Amino acid sequence: MKRVVIGLGALAMAFAVTPSSAQEKLIVSTWGGNWKDGAGIIAKEFTKRTGMEVEFITGGTLDRLAKAKVAKDNPESDVTYTTSHVGYLYQSDNLFEKLDMSKIPNAADLYPAGDRGGYEMGVYSYVYTPAFRTDLMPEGFKVDSWKVLWDKSMEGKLGLPDFDPSHIVIASSIMEGKTPSDWESVTDKLEALKPSIKAFYQSDATSQDLIRTGETPVQVLLSINGYHLIEQGVPIEIDIPSEGAVVGIGALGINAGTKKLDAAHEFINVALDPAIQEQLCEFHKCSPMNQKAKVSPELAKLPGIFTTPEQWEKEAIVLDDETYAKLLPLWKIWFTENMMH
Amino acid sequence: MMMTQQRPFFVPFLVPAVLVAVIFAAAMFNVFQYSFLEFIPGSVEVGGFTLDNFTRINRPVYYWVLLDTFLLSFATAFFALVLSYPISFALVRAEKNWVRSVLVVLAITPLFTGEIVRTYSWMLVLGTDGVVNNTLKALSLIDASIPIMYTRAGVVIALVQFAMPVMIILLATAISQVKRDCEKAAANLGATPNTVFWRVTIPLTMPGILSGFVVVFAWTMSAFSTPQLIGGGKVLMISNVVYLQGFSSFNLPFAAVLSLIALGAALGSLGLMKLATARFERNLATA
Repeated sequence: MKRVVIGLGALAMAFAVTPSSAQEKLIVSTWGGNWKDGAGIIAKEFTKRTGMEVEFITGGTLDRLAKAKVAKDNPESDVTYTTSHVGYLYQSDNLFEKLDMSKIPNAADLYPAGDRGGYEMGVYSYVYTPAFRTDLMPEGFKVDSWKVLWDKSMEGKLGLPDFDPSHIVIASSIMEGKTPSDWESVTDKLEALKPSIKAFYQSDATSQDLIRTGETPVQVLLSINGYHLIEQGVPIEIDIPSEGAVVGIGALGINAGTKKLDAAHEFINVALDPAIQEQLCEFHKCSPMNQKAKVSPELAKLPGIFTTPEQWEKEAIVLDDETYAKLLPLWKIWFTENMMH
Repeated sequence: MMMTQQRPFFVPFLVPAVLVAVIFAAAMFNVFQYSFLEFIPGSVEVGGFTLDNFTRINRPVYYWVLLDTFLLSFATAFFALVLSYPISFALVRAEKNWVRSVLVVLAITPLFTGEIVRTYSWMLVLGTDGVVNNTLKALSLIDASIPIMYTRAGVVIALVQFAMPVMIILLATAISQVKRDCEKAAANLGATPNTVFWRVTIPLTMPGILSGFVVVFAWTMSAFSTPQLIGGGKVLMISNVVYLQGFSSFNLPFAAVLSLIALGAALGSLGLMKLATARFERNLATA
């Protein structure tokens, strides 16, 4: 009995110690895998500058939003790494603190796309764009326009994300000379894409599996995943169609109710530091948000890597977060009801 | 008082079940409440009272998803039964211990691997360049890969394999209860082995067959990851649609309506099956 009591006491001590040590750390919510490793680059520099350790909690984009909503006044994390339009949902539900820009001096040098409205800061950008297996498609094949995806030769070859139809909806709207807000006028065009679609992928992992195995030799693919696969030796070409590629922005926001406001601001400031931006973009093969960041010529020449205002102007399709966040659920519902079954 | 004396542990043993039931009822009540709330695009908060979520359900796609869920569950239960029965039979009747051991390992081991792992394995087997297609091509039975992934057949194959261990356990229990004397008596009276099997063994194991069928059917009605991964968004079951609406679109009120319908459909199907089972057993008893 005595042993049991001592054991329980030790266990209670262990639990009691954990929260106090956690208080010394900045808790950052992020995605797992490669994304967490990328966030680790920021964390390393942050710890070097402040002496404060960073602890990550990981999960999917929407799972983490759901958790933040449940936790509301008692946030699990101090900083959240998410996609900018999902960041808008955090913001609209008062889950993000208003940023104090005087504490983020590096924000002054960002491309306009980096400014996400005062509650979150864009850290890097990537594109969702057509990509294909060069060994499984005819020689000379190129997706120089999104229209190619509708071609009869594409029948049963295309993979699209099931969690986010925004890219194909936005591209279809622009292709038809409309704005994404007029998407309802291009639903016929979208339905005409059905024969091309072989499967919908549910995550980065299944996206990579589908193109690696050749199940969907053509995909609307997250550029970062494409470059990751190319590094692994999968023969993939990533194209930027003439209409442009749909930009996604990885953003950082500060969880409302955090007790570490200053440290959280500093974390964002570190993330926007030109040197860290360079490391981050070399790691993920993404575009920096800080105009002063100088990425290597090898990275700069890759499709979907934007390093000049002209590229942002000509090749990037950027939608504001509010429109994106409000239309995405409607697109999603329409897509589920009309395209997926 | 009388009941407590006869079954002294009845009340304490009932407590966990009651607790689970209360938590389940509370959760379902919450879901029920959500189904009457307005969805606001661009917000994770919900609005006021509305019946729109229920009117939205009146679209052909949701009827098709429900029908598909029912048919896929039925097909899974049927094929799991057909494939599991011989294994269970061999498992119970094998005379050599090592044969029984091998069968137990082969039949039950899949239970110890997760659903995702098993589904991923099936993706490798059923894919365009998977084991099935490559074997058929090597045997010159097909020239080009046949589509199995992202089809109903592919989903059923993976679900059947997933359900088989449970079906085997349930059937083996039922088969082990059959008195060999009954079969011997039938054989002594001139019945062929085939007749003994169909007229004696099968009817005597019918309770196990029916319960196995119902368990697998109900289990499959709520299948999620297998249709999600093998179906690739082309084959949707009700759980997948709930997820797509609730977690991808954040339309939690509509996801709540779909959840209630899924629950209703599962309970309704089970009720119908129970009636059919009772009728079948009555007929069997009077035959």
